[in-house]
Amino acid sequence: MMREPTHHPADETLLRHAAGSLPAGSALVVAAHLEHCPRCRAAVRLGEAVGGVLLADCPETPLAQDALARSLARLEEPESRAPAPAAGAELAPGLALPTALRGLTDGRWRRVAPGIGRIRLDVPGARSGELVYLLRVAPGRRLPEHGHRGQEITCVLAGRFRDASGVYGPGDVAEMEAGADHQPSAEPGEACICLIATDGRLRMRGLLARALQPLVGV
Amino acid sequence: MNPAGPESSEAPRDDAALVLAIATRRDRAAFSALFARYAPRLKTWFLRSGTPADRAEDLAQETMLAVWRRADSYDPGRAAVAAWIFTIGRNQRIDALRRLARPLPDADDPSLAPSAPEAPDDVLDAARDEARLRAALRDLPPEQAEVVRLAYYEDRPHAEIERALGIPLGTVKSRLRLAMGRLRARLSQPASKGGAP
Repeated sequence: MMREPTHHPADETLLRHAAGSLPAGSALVVAAHLEHCPRCRAAVRLGEAVGGVLLADCPETPLAQDALARSLARLEEPESRAPAPAAGAELAPGLALPTALRGLTDGRWRRVAPGIGRIRLDVPGARSGELVYLLRVAPGRRLPEHGHRGQEITCVLAGRFRDASGVYGPGDVAEMEAGADHQPSAEPGEACICLIATDGRLRMRGLLARALQPLVGV
Repeated sequence: MNPAGPESSEAPRDDAALVLAIATRRDRAAFSALFARYAPRLKTWFLRSGTPADRAEDLAQETMLAVWRRADSYDPGRAAVAAWIFTIGRNQRIDALRRLARPLPDADDPSLAPSAPEAPDDVLDAARDEARLRAALRDLPPEQAEVVRLAYYEDRPHAEIERALGIPLGTVKSRLRLAMGRLRARLSQPASKGGAP
């Protein structure tokens, strides 16, 4: 099985995930990381415990007078929950879709530049401007240097990439602040597959980069 | 993070008994008692998270219905009742936002945990004790408590929160890191002086 990740989301990100206040795309990326990271699952559980205390200490807002009676009348109603989507697509031979992404894609890559494939994800509840996609970068391939107008969060699903801040392998998370620039490249050996959520458009640097801008679809 | 009333250290134990009564006997009186305690607080919670008033009322009721249906999955060894209800309410709200009857997968679902089972965790064990966690939260410096609270109630990026609080970029993040480090440190101490004074 996958090794445990070494690059984790910030405490703030984990806390907001526990609180349910992350944007939908970022929440998916964090969920993909949590599937492989017991340390961050524990951090989220601590956040949920904090949420419990905050809830218990909330002042009360009265409900309608008949609210309890209406709930009691509904107790034996069957629950209408859609079944969990089947495992389905593979992203590469032997690489299953993270559970968090099931039902969101058929796993078909679109080639957007030499050595670069992309799957746009239509994430329910994503806000306008929020962009969620899978990126597959051939071994050794370098992405154009780009900056971020909004925050970006990435979880590596397979292979490795490197940027100025280090090397990221399966399960690792990289968070980029708005305004930061980076130029990631896939490490040699195996294609690097990442799940990425951005909030706000990218700023591509240089002419070539701007020509390649369609690769991330913005 | 209101000061805890004198009864609040008792409540968690009672809550667990109520959930157990629902799980084992489908006890409607126990449900009514839990409803009285949590539904009005859930409604406040949803309102603070930006949910419109009529939806907040619906979500509070839906959450309590889910508490009834899932009572037999409550594990007192994993979470305090308030934390368990909190996560159910959080997922109800997210589902409603996504218009999908499918929450994010439960990170604690054993089928999602391919790595070794979780090691015993002193911090989480202590966090199950609501009174202890409440005391640890109350000990946070005010500026750290504030960023924790904002992470729960404000559905917006921390850059905006920083603007709202008038503090430099990156400060929310570093304050939260300090706050969580402090919480973990407090909770990993022996329990002797835990609980409300």
